[in-house]
Amino acid sequence: MRSGGRTGALAAEWTKLWSIRSTWWGLACSVPVMALMSLIMAQDIVTDNTDPALADRPGVVSVSGTGTAGGSVDMVQFVILALAALMITGEYATGSIRATLQWVPPRARMLSAKAAVAVAVMFPVGVVLALVGTASAYPVLGKWGRLDAGDVVHDALMTGVYLAVMSAFVLGVAAMLRSTAATITATFLFLMVLPVTLANSRSDLMKDIADGLPSAAGRHLLAGDGPYPAAAALAILAVWTAAALWGGVTVLRHRDA
Amino acid sequence: MAFGRCGADPRVPRFGRGRSDELGRTFLITLRGLTKRYGDKTAVDGLSLEVAAGKVTGFLGPNGAGKSTTMRMIVGLDRPTAGEALVGGRRYAGLPRPLREVGALLDAGFVHPGRSARAHLLAMARSNGIDRARVDEVIGLVGLEAVVGKRVGSYSLGMRQRLGIAGALLGDPPVLMFDEPVNGLDPDGVLWVRGLMRGLAAEGRTVFVSSHLMSEMQLTADRLVVIGRGRLLADAPVAEVIARGSGNAVRVRTPGAADLAARLTAVGAEVHRPADDELEVKGVPVDRVGLIAYEAGVPVLELRAVEASLEEAYMELTGASVEYGVGR
Repeated sequence: MRSGGRTGALAAEWTKLWSIRSTWWGLACSVPVMALMSLIMAQDIVTDNTDPALADRPGVVSVSGTGTAGGSVDMVQFVILALAALMITGEYATGSIRATLQWVPPRARMLSAKAAVAVAVMFPVGVVLALVGTASAYPVLGKWGRLDAGDVVHDALMTGVYLAVMSAFVLGVAAMLRSTAATITATFLFLMVLPVTLANSRSDLMKDIADGLPSAAGRHLLAGDGPYPAAAALAILAVWTAAALWGGVTVLRHRDA
Repeated sequence: MAFGRCGADPRVPRFGRGRSDELGRTFLITLRGLTKRYGDKTAVDGLSLEVAAGKVTGFLGPNGAGKSTTMRMIVGLDRPTAGEALVGGRRYAGLPRPLREVGALLDAGFVHPGRSARAHLLAMARSNGIDRARVDEVIGLVGLEAVVGKRVGSYSLGMRQRLGIAGALLGDPPVLMFDEPVNGLDPDGVLWVRGLMRGLAAEGRTVFVSSHLMSEMQLTADRLVVIGRGRLLADAPVAEVIARGSGNAVRVRTPGAADLAARLTAVGAEVHRPADDELEVKGVPVDRVGLIAYEAGVPVLELRAVEASLEEAYMELTGASVEYGVGR
């Protein structure tokens, strides 16, 4: 007989994730979306490089880097993060969170089981998506693309790490907000709108703050060109995720289910 | 009917920290001053009670009396504002494998509609380290074999109730709680649930079931807990609750109503005169009323005892505490 507790909570979350169709659909959709985004970004680079009027040309870029496949993750991440959010908000929407909490009453154990399952699933998904993006960008880039096996492996692994950690982050946000729409909107504002707004500001302080946000940390993790080393980027992602999960557990403990 | 797995004897509570009294009864659900407030509205107000093992205890009260809130607090879904709810002497959240201690059907809707019943029960079993074989066992017990692979969203309310009951039985727990389990069930299903509750209690389990169907409770429950506006109104065996109601009365039709009324009042009876030639007498048994009338020489045209139903006793108990009444 298998044990309950932590192992049981993990097993239950695993079973639940794969027994609803939205998981399969969402993951299946992320592949063509990734391929398409990388294709568009690769085409943009080719266009820029062949435009005689343009002074600042990107030149030859890494096929798997932030210019193409890596950059596509900025958009495709929302498909993955929506799936992660649904692991909780879907349960609030249907009332089944009350079943989940009857099975696994300790709030921290329930949320950490969900986060662990999300990390375990989204890491390989991120790796696969990065490879799909690379494969899709390569033929389009042609002579403007530089394909290096070491870079591809590095970029794919880092994309996996970024999506896995951010899935756990979103689960914390979802536990605080409970609604799918609110969670996805908040995530979009935080990962997309806010960093762009700050980065475009002329204040250095604002730009420094932008570098401390998870989206910038993710990009620096991938490109290795940030104002801090990759380990620091990883630490920034970890701190944001730990804070979100802590917030989620606190709300779960204090609010009625 | 046997609901347990072989080897498991539910009469021996596996988490024997419930209280036992001098009569050898065991209490596995204990509420102490349980209180829940939402803003300035008090849903459950200092509720203290114990639910005994081996019995079906009916949990009654008008809509909004706090039954569901109480049950949600017992399984730790809602946080009590004050007081505590213990199962086997422990808080639900502290139970290492709660489904093996408490099986609860609180709302048939607490299921993801996109998941099949089998996947739902399988995830549930895994969460508490329950054998996979037990899933098929409970599916058979509730008669859902034919639809178990279908998504729950396509189920009727009755089928969802059966799924909820299957979930409550899954961990083979010594304590079972059901919130309105016969909602949406056909007469056949109602009969089945009644037998199920009786059977579970006969096996020594604690069965705590809420309902607003008095006739159903009169048939199923051994004991009743009645609450109104979050307060305990009664906690007694079914027969006692009925007897306590003022519905037990004696009806007399007589031309000498005034005379007889005076004599009955003199011996301490409570007498009403709904019509000129009719009396309703409370507090004196029917044979004594007959004798008093005979001694007084009052002709009696009709004399009968009126037995109260649980429904009447209940209405009387909760009359003052109906939250969403239409006025009687």
